[in-house]
Amino acid sequence: MKHLKLKQLLFFIAISFAISSCNSTRTALFDQYSYEKTIELKVETNQLMSKATTPYSANKEEIEKLFLNLEKLIEYEKNKPNNEITFEMLKMLNDKDKNLLAGFFKHWETKGIESKLFLEESKKQISEAFDLLIQYEIKKDKQSKEALLDLINLNK
Amino acid sequence: MDKDKVIENLKKELKAIIANNYKDIKPQLEKDLTVFFQTSKEKLERWIVLFSSGDLTEEEFEWLLKSQLDLTVLKALQTAGISKIKLNTIKNNIIKMIIQIITNLIIPAV
Repeated sequence: MKHLKLKQLLFFIAISFAISSCNSTRTALFDQYSYEKTIELKVETNQLMSKATTPYSANKEEIEKLFLNLEKLIEYEKNKPNNEITFEMLKMLNDKDKNLLAGFFKHWETKGIESKLFLEESKKQISEAFDLLIQYEIKKDKQSKEALLDLINLNK
Repeated sequence: MDKDKVIENLKKELKAIIANNYKDIKPQLEKDLTVFFQTSKEKLERWIVLFSSGDLTEEEFEWLLKSQLDLTVLKALQTAGISKIKLNTIKNNIIKMIIQIITNLIIPAV
């Protein structure tokens, strides 16, 4: 019985350590939902950008849908603890004054139709921006694993 | 047109401008620019060729340059965290400098 209580106590101590190490890294944990949604957004954006050699007005409905999905993800990320970096990165993508996602669609709206070469180059830029977000989410998984390994090693 | 020469001249002129106009933040700015050139060299070369051949307009070229600086900021956010981002605050000045220098370097050669 005493042995069981001691085991329980050790378990609670280990959990407390785990929680405190997660807080000390000040990075949110890896989130499968964020990862999947960011990939979905990347694919949708890429598809929609391919249509930028046609008039912006003809694609308005789809563009609005894309931004609605982006807004939903931003709102989701905003409320996660220790998630300031992902939130800031998404805000940059959604900022019309930055030359990333929202900036591209603003440019397309102003121009009406984009030139093929400019479109090719800007597509690479936006795709790279999404890759940074995706890689950052994966990095969180690595950080969580490392924190867990540290914890295991500390308690050996 | 020698792309490497254009990039080298661009770096040289930017360094001189930084030394004269941004004395207070010179080390940080030079560091940021070195990172920018290291990660952007291939793209810059390609865009300079497209711009000088008329396949990209000046406005499109400027848009792409700005997007590259925004990507650099995004990358810095990812690796260094929010507090260390300084490049963004002087982004527009850097862009103006680059456009002016590249235009001066390219136009006589066209």
